[in-house]
Amino acid sequence: MTDTSHRLYAVVIAVVVFFLSWAAVAAKPWATAKPDPRLAALAQREQRLRYDAKLVQQVVDNRMVAYRMALKARKAQIASIKAQAAAAQARALQVSQSTAQASQSSQSPAASSVRVVNLPPLTITRTS
Amino acid sequence: MLRRAFTAMGTDIEVLLDADPGERAERALDRAEAEFERLEQVMSRFRDDSELSRLNREGSIAEASPDLVRVVELSLEARDATEGRFDPTVHDAVVAAGYDRTFDAVAPATIADPVEAPARCGGAVHVTGPTIELEPGIRLDLGGIGKGYAADRVAELLAVAGPCLVNAGGDIAVRGGSWPVGVTDEITLELTRGGLATSGRDRRRWLRNGEEQHHLIDPATGLPAAGTPIRVTVVADSAAAAEVAAKTAFLGGTVDLPQVVVTAEGTTVLAGGLA
Repeated sequence: MTDTSHRLYAVVIAVVVFFLSWAAVAAKPWATAKPDPRLAALAQREQRLRYDAKLVQQVVDNRMVAYRMALKARKAQIASIKAQAAAAQARALQVSQSTAQASQSSQSPAASSVRVVNLPPLTITRTS
Repeated sequence: MLRRAFTAMGTDIEVLLDADPGERAERALDRAEAEFERLEQVMSRFRDDSELSRLNREGSIAEASPDLVRVVELSLEARDATEGRFDPTVHDAVVAAGYDRTFDAVAPATIADPVEAPARCGGAVHVTGPTIELEPGIRLDLGGIGKGYAADRVAELLAVAGPCLVNAGGDIAVRGGSWPVGVTDEITLELTRGGLATSGRDRRRWLRNGEEQHHLIDPATGLPAAGTPIRVTVVADSAAAAEVAAKTAFLGGTVDLPQVVVTAEGTTVLAGGLA
């Protein structure tokens, strides 16, 4: 009985040692891992995209600077035109006021709305 | 050109509208006619149930319509501006002269009433918000200025539909356009804005006890004005203002506005910038 048990234990241990050895050999710890070519391609692509993005950002920045400069120039132009228009309007108002004053001094406001004509009347006035 | 004629405020009304015929223009003319009727109900002294009749009867009115308040205010302003030549308190003097009913009823008859003493004019009238109060014994006649005011109001209403002319028995208001208006047989004035009115003794006259009477009372005497031109036509910024100015000029006041005067001798004179 005792011998049988010893043999059984020995067989089990041998089997375990065998499988452990098998696993160790199968893992090939002496061999170095080769890099995955797909990962390398992805990394390359990522680098290229980053470079392109930088180029695009530079173009956008340049265009933005150009746009801001054009906008500033346009705003200055509009302000100048508005100032000129306001000045012209003020001059026109001044002229019309002085004309109105001159006209008021020479005749009553109602006089400008009536004149004697040689037309057939559309209606007549009479003592109301 | 659309034309509508009807009778309101005891006179002939003529409305000219320079618009295409159609429902819109007809509605505008309907509104014009209705507005005259509404204003007559406010300012007529011949309708017992008008606001003005109630004011004259009771001496005061607490909730007067904005139109009545405005016309009374205009009349009082005119009385101040013309130093009393235009005066809305001539009611009793007009009645004493025999114009105590609509002119259609007065004109055919020769009145043979005993002559009354001249009625007092120039009494106090107080306007405070919508409240109008008359000095005891004072009554208002808004006939002339009321027609001018109505012509102005209706012209404002019609102007949204197009250039227009409103002729309320000689008181004319125009908005937009150019309107030849016959003043005498020889003279036509082209009016482009504002108003025009005529005051005279060639119409609205009647006989009383054999003497000719007319409706234009001189507030200074309380009697129909004497020694006046036959008639005066004045152009002003509104028909109401023209009415006041025409009456003032008729009674001898100085009016610095375009005017056509037919003198007592029958001579026609253009003044105030007209030529």
